[in-house]
Amino acid sequence: MTPTTRILTAAALSLGAATLRIGAAQAAQNTIKIGATLPLTGAEARIGGFYKEGYEYAFEQQNKEGGVKVGDKTMKVELQLLDDTSTQSTAQSLADRLINSDKVNFLLGTYATNLVEAQSAIVEQNQMLYVNGGGAASAIYKRGYKWVFGLLAPVELLADSMMKWIDEQQKAGKLPKPAKIALLWENTSHGKDFRKGVSEFAKKSGGGYEVVVDESFELNGKDFSALLGKVKAANVDLFLSDSHLPDYITMQRQYVTSGMCHKILSYGARGSEKQAAEALGRKNVEYILSAVWWSPLLGQKNEIAKEFVAGFKAKHGREPEWYQAMGFETARALFTAIEQAGTLDKAKVREKLVVMKLPSLLPGGELTFPAEFGQQSHAPFVVQQNQPDGSAPIIAPADAATGKGVAPNPNCGK
Amino acid sequence: MQRFTELVVAAVLLAGLYATMAYGLGLIYGVLRVVNLNHGGIIMAGAYVGWLLHEKFGIDPYLSIPAVVAVSFVLGIAIYRGLVRHLPRGPAGAVQSLLLLFGVWLVLRNAAYLLFTGNDQTIRTEYSTRSVAAFGLALSVNRVAVFGIAVLTLVVLHLFLTRTFTGKAIRAVAQNADSCTLVGVDVERIYSLTFGIGTALAGLAGLLGASLFSFNPSYGSGDLLKSFVIVVLGGLGSVMGTAAAALILALVEVFAILALPSYLTGAVGFVLLVLVLVLRPGGLFGHRVLG
Repeated sequence: MTPTTRILTAAALSLGAATLRIGAAQAAQNTIKIGATLPLTGAEARIGGFYKEGYEYAFEQQNKEGGVKVGDKTMKVELQLLDDTSTQSTAQSLADRLINSDKVNFLLGTYATNLVEAQSAIVEQNQMLYVNGGGAASAIYKRGYKWVFGLLAPVELLADSMMKWIDEQQKAGKLPKPAKIALLWENTSHGKDFRKGVSEFAKKSGGGYEVVVDESFELNGKDFSALLGKVKAANVDLFLSDSHLPDYITMQRQYVTSGMCHKILSYGARGSEKQAAEALGRKNVEYILSAVWWSPLLGQKNEIAKEFVAGFKAKHGREPEWYQAMGFETARALFTAIEQAGTLDKAKVREKLVVMKLPSLLPGGELTFPAEFGQQSHAPFVVQQNQPDGSAPIIAPADAATGKGVAPNPNCGK
Repeated sequence: MQRFTELVVAAVLLAGLYATMAYGLGLIYGVLRVVNLNHGGIIMAGAYVGWLLHEKFGIDPYLSIPAVVAVSFVLGIAIYRGLVRHLPRGPAGAVQSLLLLFGVWLVLRNAAYLLFTGNDQTIRTEYSTRSVAAFGLALSVNRVAVFGIAVLTLVVLHLFLTRTFTGKAIRAVAQNADSCTLVGVDVERIYSLTFGIGTALAGLAGLLGASLFSFNPSYGSGDLLKSFVIVVLGGLGSVMGTAAAALILALVEVFAILALPSYLTGAVGFVLLVLVLVLRPGGLFGHRVLG
């Protein structure tokens, strides 16, 4: 090969490569790349899988409608999803990779407070827009982060929603005044927020409630009998605990065998799970009160929820739980903000999220990210109560209610 | 007085579970001088085997004890023959055995995630929430049964180690393996058998735990830590010491609630561990007294 031929060949190859790059860039411009990590393996794998279903359904629906309208152009959305293995360090390093190596346009959040907490510092450093539906602890949003938006309302509000319903029962004369409370909370940010919600409600009640047992416990406890003995000795009216599913099952087993019965019994966000009824027996979960971020029963009152439940059911052959709904709504909020901004400029999309008032499938029917709460949604919780027929209707708030709650627990004294 | 009785009974029942968890770890260390970091993995595997037998064939968890113990025993023998025996004996192999068995635990755990996902599972029987009246208290049938099995295991293990030829050989190997070789004891066979028995006891602990708690593939890690505390408290290699240490730990944890917030009661055991290591490194009941 002569020097001239060599130069010509190199020039042709460079030109070809440049053409390919331009072609790829043009293709990329027609697609919005959205990154996310989820715990698809490890301790949170089950719930991570639920969020994945929610994200995928949202992307599929959006692309079915042509994509996201950005100015005068409609662009497809592409989800780049990685497995953070339920560990904080992996969640952090993958967020960094998505931002700095894969150059995604926006990030959706992972699930579980500790993982969201870990990622939030990374996205803030990189000024990457991060919308999550998996981190509820208010501590994440009290750091003054500008780029982090959260759909899960704080657990304090969960306790507050539940206490409001209990208060209505007290005002109706169904519960004693003052009512004595045993407050048991897991030693996590989730539990601490729950405790704060109940304690503050009791303080503000003007003598309506008295917290006489206030104890925390470690996750995955082996034995709660000493703790339950303390509750028994205090002779309380309301048993309010906040726990994850394994501790709920262990504690409720010991609660039932100890022969205790309280006018109100709750395990915070836990209570209506089918798995718990299977593990404990339907009879042993009757009248347990729970409050959750979302329920498919909202479909009976809310059009967006109805459409989501029907669509999800058609695709998966089963009803969605709140995890899938949160995944779906998180992605939808981001798509809407991009459309409203009409650009992929992160700062402009962020501005739209700050002022967003999106008709939503969430309780209350509207999604906002109030600045006074660090851009964390404060959508109300739905309160449910297990009934003897196995159902768990929404009993509060009134505008979402699909059934009536019962207080005091009719099983006590039987 | 009623409260005192309640706490004592709760501690005794809890001690049964703790002792079952720790027997296997103590036995393997006492004889092979190997810290079985895979103990937690076997506890988890025992829970899943029991759950599978219950879910697929409707076998009551207590009736499935022989099957779970047999499966765990075979698994233990396989792990010993396939992996552990190739490591150098004594302090030279200590780090390798730690790493190797930790690796086996990771493999077991991830295999469980693949097979069963991360879902929490439970074994529910018709007596899961039943209670019996004793000492003026309502006691969980399951917890009483677990305690009974723990006591039975202790008695059987003690009799085996003190009254049978193989048991005596195990104790002899624990004291001096070289001398045993000189008098014709097949030390390799004893090691293999001991590893199998220790693993079978871990499997039994997993099954009993599964009848009380919900579990997932990460189950067992907390139990491993607790087992360490008990084995060190009781004196490494002492079966009776293990049982006594389990009772002491349970009593301390349960009674701590009178003075400490509930979430700190679990840490009391670790404080006790540090104290024992500093003041009485051989454990509360000495060491090398298998049986």
